[in-house]
Amino acid sequence: MQRTEAHFFDGLTAGRHDVHVALSEDRLALIISGDALDEPLRWPLMDLRALADTADKTRLTLTRRADTDDEAPRDPARLIILDPRLIDWMRRTRPGLFKADLHPGIWKRILTYAGGAIAATALMLFVILPAMANTLAQLIPVEREVAFGKTVTAQMERLLGGSGFGTLRCESPAGKAALEAMLSRLTDGRDMQYDIAVQVFDHEMVNAFAAPGGQVVMLRGLLDMADGPDEVAAVLAHEIGHVESRDATRNALRAAGSAGLLTMVLGDFTGGAAIALIGEHMISAGYTRAAEAEADIFALQLLNAADVSAKGFARFFNRLDEMDAMDLPAYLSTHPVTAERAAQARDFASVQVGTRPVLDPAEWKALRKICE
Amino acid sequence: MNSDQDIMTLRYAGEREPLLGLTFRTGLLTVVTLGIYRFWQKTRIRKYIWSSVSADGDTFEYTGTGLEKFLGFLIAIVFLAIYVGLIQMVLFFAGLNIMVDPETASPQQMIAQIVAIYITAFAVLPFVLYAIYRARRYKMARTRFRGIRFGMEKGAWGYVLRAIGYGLLTALTLGILTPLLTFKLEKYMADRSYYGTARFVQTGNWTELFPALKHVLIGIGLLVLGTLLVAAGVMSSAWFAFLGGLAVAVGSVWIVIGAIYYAVRSFAYLTDHKVLGKEIGFAAEPRTGTVIKAYVLGGLLLGLLATVAFGIVGALGAAFIPLLEGAGMVGTVVLLSLIGIGYLVALVLVQALGMVLITQPILAHYIQTIRIENGSALDRIAQRETETGIDAEGFADALDVGGAI
Repeated sequence: MQRTEAHFFDGLTAGRHDVHVALSEDRLALIISGDALDEPLRWPLMDLRALADTADKTRLTLTRRADTDDEAPRDPARLIILDPRLIDWMRRTRPGLFKADLHPGIWKRILTYAGGAIAATALMLFVILPAMANTLAQLIPVEREVAFGKTVTAQMERLLGGSGFGTLRCESPAGKAALEAMLSRLTDGRDMQYDIAVQVFDHEMVNAFAAPGGQVVMLRGLLDMADGPDEVAAVLAHEIGHVESRDATRNALRAAGSAGLLTMVLGDFTGGAAIALIGEHMISAGYTRAAEAEADIFALQLLNAADVSAKGFARFFNRLDEMDAMDLPAYLSTHPVTAERAAQARDFASVQVGTRPVLDPAEWKALRKICE
Repeated sequence: MNSDQDIMTLRYAGEREPLLGLTFRTGLLTVVTLGIYRFWQKTRIRKYIWSSVSADGDTFEYTGTGLEKFLGFLIAIVFLAIYVGLIQMVLFFAGLNIMVDPETASPQQMIAQIVAIYITAFAVLPFVLYAIYRARRYKMARTRFRGIRFGMEKGAWGYVLRAIGYGLLTALTLGILTPLLTFKLEKYMADRSYYGTARFVQTGNWTELFPALKHVLIGIGLLVLGTLLVAAGVMSSAWFAFLGGLAVAVGSVWIVIGAIYYAVRSFAYLTDHKVLGKEIGFAAEPRTGTVIKAYVLGGLLLGLLATVAFGIVGALGAAFIPLLEGAGMVGTVVLLSLIGIGYLVALVLVQALGMVLITQPILAHYIQTIRIENGSALDRIAQRETETGIDAEGFADALDVGGAI
């Protein structure tokens, strides 16, 4: 290899020095010589490193591996090679040229802090936030919860395609009267924390939900699918169970904390928000599965006290089970496996005595026509 | 003192294809690693951009590493996980306590509720400001020119206090004091910055930034005038209403352009009045027109290419849908995953295109208009100590402060 010109920065001052570079006689090092240098420098080829990901491919910036306190173990001096033949030769013969050297002990530090970060996040997600959500859900005044619940139902209405406030609500007087009759049959004589307000939204989905503060919403699809008033009463009793244990409020509080946390940990990289959402769903599924089971038990007790047969409950879950086109794994679903729930209700119903229908046929007919 | 030969011009040599390839490849790696690679992605893009900038033939160097950024992020998470989780929930609880009934609420109650929601954002604000200063300090500490390190003193909490104080002052004066905010914060940071042993000083006066604000003020004037005309027009003539509507539309566009004008002009003024080591001066002449053109043309092209990319994914997805019928559970999951992957790839591509169509051209324009006066004095500047124990902008990464690069 021939002697060639290059620029040299000594890492001590910002002056640029013109130097000559040549291969040493033993072919193991680069010899750097020039007027600015007291004596020629010898840079062993083994130690040479070049800067990676640079824009200008006509220059190669060389440095040396050295035990310094710098971010990477590198000598602060820089040698800039502009001779294309030398650049080509270096790239061809030095496989370790772009190697990233690490300070010793760095992996131990990474593992320590990764453990700390995971532990802190897990502690927050699974212990502190749920516990705080429980406490705060008890502290919040009922009238504020009612206001929050109304905001949630109004949002739900928009989400289901309502053009404005109240546009989806089903208001036929006879239907509403039937709904009230069903509600009072279930709750009369019980000490309730909330005034339950039941509504039906005109939407074909088979679903019902309990918003904070006693707001229960059933969708028309549920009334269409139900084969008798006892089935609707079972769903209503289940939702009342959620209302009484403040599940919706607790869940909203916990989600507010963990969603912010998950977005922060996962960052704003592409698709990060989607992964945060799935993560949040997995966590909330775990909590809501327990809450669903409790609401089921509450509903069975409520039905029993009101002399309504739990057979409707069992029939409804059997039908849901047939409807599930895609069987979601239990950990992804917020409801306990429906067949198990149906069995539980059937067992309960088999020992019930003296039951009578929750609505008479005329009331049931009116309820099914509540949206007309 | 400054002869003509002693003026150095900055050049930017970055090109489209290599940066597009780098951003796209590292973006895919980031998705595959569930976001962990993003620290290496940012580092590699910075290495490319820094090495594209040169003065007098010598290129800049970015020496940060992905690993130290990852470590900094982990350290920040340990602290922020606890703070952010708790504060989010407590604030949400406080928000619930002032929740109003949407059916019966008065406008005042609704406004109070909206204000309360915005106030919750202020809980993390001190940390966001802290992160801004630390991120600039980290970037300075990891930048070298001619083998000599840049650097910045500690002082993030001082920055937080000043930013909040001047920010409140600006908000209370409805934005009139924006030049004070811009100047004082930049001076705070510039005066703590070094190149080697030489210190930067921000000279000049904040009142001289007012001319830069003129187009924003004109826009606001048009907006106010237009609103008044519309109000008057409703009662008297349709002509007034039309003129007023026109003034509002023109005023809105004027404010946006005025904001870009302010950013460009204040950058030029602040650069012109920076001095390094008492003897080296700077000058910048960025042009508002060029920056706006880059935004508009780059934005249009990006929009077009994004439509094409997502269109292809959408068309392929639609072609797959008939296959869903009759496909079993496994088949459905596979097909849906393929569509999801196509969508993610398109998203990464659009981000990479944004980098080369908008970010890089604007950056290149700013850099190429900068001159260094009395550049030969640089030769006398000596090395500074390496900065250890820096958090590698972990807070900025956790709080998502800092933008594209």
